[in-house]
Amino acid sequence: MILLGKIALGIASTAVAGASLLCSEGMIQVKVVEKRPEGHHIRVMAPALLLPIGMHFAPKDGIREASAEIQPWLPTIRAALAQLRECDDFAFVEVNEPGRQVRVVKSGGSLVVDVNDEEESVHVSAPIRTLSSAVEELAAAAPATER
Amino acid sequence: MPQGIRNLPLLCALALAMTTMAMAAQKDHYLHIKVDDPAKGESVNVNLPLSIAEKILPTVNRGNLHQGRVTISSENMDGVDLRAILDAIRTAADNEFVTVKQHGQNVRVAKSNGNLVVHVQEAGEEGHNVDITVPMKVVDALFSTAKKDELDVAAAIRALAEAGDTLLVSVQDATQHVRIWVDSRSSQE
Repeated sequence: MILLGKIALGIASTAVAGASLLCSEGMIQVKVVEKRPEGHHIRVMAPALLLPIGMHFAPKDGIREASAEIQPWLPTIRAALAQLRECDDFAFVEVNEPGRQVRVVKSGGSLVVDVNDEEESVHVSAPIRTLSSAVEELAAAAPATER
Repeated sequence: MPQGIRNLPLLCALALAMTTMAMAAQKDHYLHIKVDDPAKGESVNVNLPLSIAEKILPTVNRGNLHQGRVTISSENMDGVDLRAILDAIRTAADNEFVTVKQHGQNVRVAKSNGNLVVHVQEAGEEGHNVDITVPMKVVDALFSTAKKDELDVAAAIRALAEAGDTLLVSVQDATQHVRIWVDSRSSQE
C-alpha cells in the first residue's frame, strides 16, 4: 500500500513538474469567432514553450524561405523584442473605423492582437519571450551561407 | 550619539532622493501619433516608446538609413547649406525668420523659447493648418554628425526623450486632424 502511494506521489510530482515546465513561458492564446450564423468558434490555448520546440523540429525545408527573408531584419527584430520586454504595458496601435477595430498592445509580457470586424473577431496573445525564441529558431533554419 | 547614527536620517534622505531621481530619469517617453477623421468616424492611434525607436534605428541599414543616420543626397539639397542656416538660427535671438503671405497661404518660421516653430495656414475649406514645433536641442542633435550630408536621427530621438512633453506636429484640414507629440504617458487618454 505504501509502495503504491509512493508510486502515485512520484507520478503526480512528475506530472506537476512537467506541467509547470510547459507553462513556465506562459500560454499562447488564439480565439477566432465567426459572427455569421453557425460560424466557427475556434479557441486554442497552448503552452508557449511548444512554439519554439515545434519550430525546432519542423522540416527545415518548409521554413527555409521565410528564414532567408527574415535574416536582414534579425538585428532589428531582436532589438525590438528585447526592448519591448523592458517596457511598461502600452497600446502600440489602435485603429477604429466603422465596422472594424484593430488593437495591438503589449500586456503583461505578452504581445496581444485584437481584430474585431463585422464578420469575425480574432484574438491572438503570445509571450514576447516565446516570440524571441521562435524568431531564433526561424533564423537558425537558414542555410549557413545566409546567416 | 555616534556621528554615523546622527547622519543616518540625512543619508536615508539622500539615498531616497537619488533613487527618485534615477527612477524619474528611467521613465520612458512615448511618441504618440493620432489621426482623427470625425466625418468618416475613423481614428488611428500609434504609441511608440522612444527607447524602442532609439534601439531599433541603428539596426536598420536600408536605403538612405544607416546606423541611425539618414544620408541626404546633394541633389536634394539644391545648393542649400542647411548647417549654415541652422548655425545662424541657433545664435540668433527669438525672432521671426520667414514670413510669407501670398494668395491663400501664410507661412511663418520663427525661433521661440528654444523651439523652431513652423506655421503654415492655407485659406479655403480644403486648406491645411500646419504647426510644427521642434526643440532646438533636437535640431542640434539631428545635425550633430561630422558628415555634412547626414542627419543623425538616433541622436535626435535621444534629444527628444530628454526634451520632455512636446507637441511636435499638428495638421488640421477640413476633415482630418493629425497630431504628433511626445510625453511620458503610455496611452493617449
